[in-house]
Amino acid sequence: MTVPSPPPAGSRGAIALLAESCTSCMLCARECPDWCIEIDSHTENEPAAGRRPRTRHVLDRFAIDYALCMYCGICIDVCPFDALSWSPELVDPAAGVAGLILERDQLGAFVTGS
Amino acid sequence: MTGHERAGAFAAALPGASLTSSFGQLTVDVPADAWLDALRRARDDFRLGYFDWLSAYEDTDSVLVVVCHLVALEPVEHLLVRTRVDSEPPSLPSAVSVFRGADWHEREAAEMFGLTFTGHPAPGPLLLPAGFEGHPLRKGFVLAARVARPWPGAKEPGESGSAVRRRRALPPGVPAPGRWGPADPDGGQP
Amino acid sequence: MTVDLESPTVGPYRGTVSLDDVRLRVWTYDVGLACCAVEVMAAVLPRLGAAQPVAPLAASPREADVLVVSGTLTDVFAPILRRLLDQLPGRPYVISFGACADSGGPYWDSYSVTKGVDQLVPVDLYVPGCPPRPQALIAALQVVADGLPR
Repeated sequence: MTVPSPPPAGSRGAIALLAESCTSCMLCARECPDWCIEIDSHTENEPAAGRRPRTRHVLDRFAIDYALCMYCGICIDVCPFDALSWSPELVDPAAGVAGLILERDQLGAFVTGS
Repeated sequence: MTGHERAGAFAAALPGASLTSSFGQLTVDVPADAWLDALRRARDDFRLGYFDWLSAYEDTDSVLVVVCHLVALEPVEHLLVRTRVDSEPPSLPSAVSVFRGADWHEREAAEMFGLTFTGHPAPGPLLLPAGFEGHPLRKGFVLAARVARPWPGAKEPGESGSAVRRRRALPPGVPAPGRWGPADPDGGQP
Repeated sequence: MTVDLESPTVGPYRGTVSLDDVRLRVWTYDVGLACCAVEVMAAVLPRLGAAQPVAPLAASPREADVLVVSGTLTDVFAPILRRLLDQLPGRPYVISFGACADSGGPYWDSYSVTKGVDQLVPVDLYVPGCPPRPQALIAALQVVADGLPR
């Protein structure tokens, strides 16, 4: 849902996720006061010739339960890779409370700016 | 006299009292057996006649501390009067005889911390529903919702769903499984 | 008013709502429990220079099409809310407004908070936010006005 008039600079609407920057470090999930961020990830090995394989965490699932979210921004502040950011758009209302759990693609749609 | 001088004179007038200043807030610590005397002297001799609030907190050594905020009017000066409640079970004389407004404040402090204010005219819970067990604002009071709900942060990077390899990390405020709650938190599941 | 809807009935819905001349015929009663009530007031009370409120306010819950539950529901207040709803002759739409009404919100772990109004009554629409912007309430009322299925 877009806001009709341009919101003031720094408006806190929805929380957007740039999934390419996320390393599944779990810091946002641990710091969230409402426990509303769910992260699933797995480990992949990248073979390197002549050396031990390099492990990489791959993000499987990133979900924010907006029924719980209190828009404090702690997750955005704590993310070491700036994967999370504020978007001036608002989260749509939903007929069921499960409709307020937004998954990675929906959070990615909120990403604004450069 | 300035507020600081007044507070200093008040502290000097009471045996065993001491004055501290923190971020511009003056606090006088008095012994618990001089609590009512201190409040009466503050009201009658030191112009601190406006009772703002009375509350309590649990200190780091699990001792309850009762704090009373008094204000002198025209000009306005604030003072915190504080006492440690060392008795077991914790009890303090009720301040209602000095300040009638302390009535509900003491009822709330009593139900939230398990304090007894002796001589209170109408003791009883104020905010908590009938049948509520425990004293919620004590540090040992466990929030059951945090124990019951699985913590999303318990997973390590690279884990997903129920594939938890290591010992689960506990969120803040949740005691170790053997100390509070069901004996087997996973219900017998591996 | 321009309303551009992709899927107008069952939520979630995306669209734009302009506040300037919205006149909703949805009679609204706000069960204002806490801070979200202020955002509901900002949404429904007359705009500066406008003579009429944006959405008409019902004089009592009995005459309301929509009950907006805005704010934190505590365990002590829950029986009173239940009694309020039991006294209504019909069943109005219930909009859960704000994180506390949706799920307990920031107080989900409290010893005294009911974790969401839906613990007590069936909720037809959940509005996220802490607090939601007034535009979010107008959008939610628009969804109800367009015929939200029960």
